[in-house]
Amino acid sequence: MFRNTSSLIQPLVFFIIIALLFPFSLPAEGLLLQRIGGGVIWVSAVLATMLSLESMFHSDYQDGTLEQMLIHPRSLSLAMLGKALAHWTATGLILTLFSPLLCVTFNIPSEQIWVLFTGLLLGTPSLTLIGAIGAALTVTLRRGGVLIAIIILPLYIPILIFGAGMLTQVAQGLEVTSQLYALAAILALSITLAPFAIAGALRITIN
Amino acid sequence: MNPITIIWNFLSNTYHRLGSPREFYTISRYTTPVFGALFLVLSLIGTYFGLFVAPADYQQGDSFRILFVHVPVAWMSLFVYVVMATAGAIGLIWRMKMAFVVTICSAPIGAAFTALALMTGSIWGKPIWGTYWVWDARLTSELILLFLYFGIMAVYYAFEDRKTAEKATALLSVVGVVIVPIIHYSVEWWSSLHQGVTVFAEGGPKMPPEMLLPLAFMAFGFMFFYGYALFLSMQNKVLDNERKSGWVRALVNNKEQQS
Repeated sequence: MFRNTSSLIQPLVFFIIIALLFPFSLPAEGLLLQRIGGGVIWVSAVLATMLSLESMFHSDYQDGTLEQMLIHPRSLSLAMLGKALAHWTATGLILTLFSPLLCVTFNIPSEQIWVLFTGLLLGTPSLTLIGAIGAALTVTLRRGGVLIAIIILPLYIPILIFGAGMLTQVAQGLEVTSQLYALAAILALSITLAPFAIAGALRITIN
Repeated sequence: MNPITIIWNFLSNTYHRLGSPREFYTISRYTTPVFGALFLVLSLIGTYFGLFVAPADYQQGDSFRILFVHVPVAWMSLFVYVVMATAGAIGLIWRMKMAFVVTICSAPIGAAFTALALMTGSIWGKPIWGTYWVWDARLTSELILLFLYFGIMAVYYAFEDRKTAEKATALLSVVGVVIVPIIHYSVEWWSSLHQGVTVFAEGGPKMPPEMLLPLAFMAFGFMFFYGYALFLSMQNKVLDNERKSGWVRALVNNKEQQS
C-alpha cells in the first residue's frame, strides 16, 4: 500500500474531485452549499472508499501472498483485520484528515466541522471493514468493481444516515451523542464480525 | 416411544431426505401442486372477503382494500429474506447441497415480493398521501432490501464455478441478515410517514376482525405461493445441477420414450 504512492493519493484526489463537482452542479447560493456540504462530503467519502476497495486484495491475490495467508496456521481473520485497518489508514484516515479543509471551502461553521470530523473518524473504519467483505467476495473476478458497488452500497446506508444526520442535528442546535454512539456501535460490530466474514469470503472464492 | 420422539424422528428423517436432490425432487413432485392449490383456495377466499365482505375504512374508503395485497407481500419480502439467509447459514455450516438451492431460488422470488410491496405501496400512497413516493423510513428500507436481493443475485451469476457461486451467495445473504435490522432502525429514526404497527401492536390488533380475517387468509395464501414458486424453481435448479447424474438421465429418457 505505502510502497505504491499512487494508490495512496488516488482515493484522496477522487474524494476532493467528487466533493468539488457539487458546487459546479448546484445553484450558486452560499447558504445552500453550507447546508448540504456535510452530506456531500459524506457521500464523497463513501464513494472514495468504495473505489479503493477493488485494489485492496488485488495485488496480494496476483502475487500469491493471499494464498500464503490462507494456508498459514495463524488466524486468517486476525490477519484480515490488520489488512483492513492498514487499508483504512491509507484511505479513510487520510480522507478524514483532509475533510476540514473541504468544510472550509463550503463555508461550514467550525462547530459542525468537528462533528463531521469525529463522525468520519468513527465511520470510515466501518466503511472499509464492511467493504472488505465485498472486496474479498469479488477478488477472483476480472470485473469486480461494479459488483462491489452493488453489494456494498446498500450496506453503507446506516453509516451514511447516522454520519450525515449528525450534521443536520448540530445545525438545528440538537445533541448528537446518540448518533455518535450508533456509529461507535457499528464500528465495534464491524471490527468484531467483519474479519470473520472477510476470511470466510476469501476461503470461498480462492480455492 | 413417546410422541415427541416420534415427531422428532419424522422431522429429522424428512429433513435428511430433503437434503438429497433426488429425494427432494420425488417429494416435491407431490407437495408442489398441494401448495399451489392451497394458495389458490386461500387467496380466493381472502380476495372475496377482502373485496366484498370487509367494511370500507372510515377514513380511506374503498382504497384501503389494496392492503390485502400490500401487507402480506411486504411481510413475505422479509420472510423470504430470513428463509434465504437461514438456508445460506445451514449450507455454509453443514455443507448441505439443497440449502444453497433454497438460498439461490429464494432470491428472485423475494425480490419480486419486495418490488410488488413497493409498487402496491406507491399505488396506495397516491390517493392517501397525495404522492407516489416519499423518502420515508419504510419505503426506503424496503428499497434497500430490493437492492440487497439484486446484489445477492448478481453475486451468484458473477462466478463461473457453481460451488463457489453458491457459497459466496450464501455468505452475502448471512452478512445481509446482520445488517438488515441495523438498516431498518437507522432508517426508522431518520424519518417516517408510513402507518405504524397495526396488526402485531401491543394489546392486540387495531383492526376489526372483518378486515383481519381476509388479511390472514391472504398472508397464508402468499406463504403457500412462496412454497409453490420456490419448489418449482428448485425442481428446475436440481435437474440442472444434477443433469449428469444417473437418475436425471433416466427421468429424461423415460419422458422421451413416453412422448
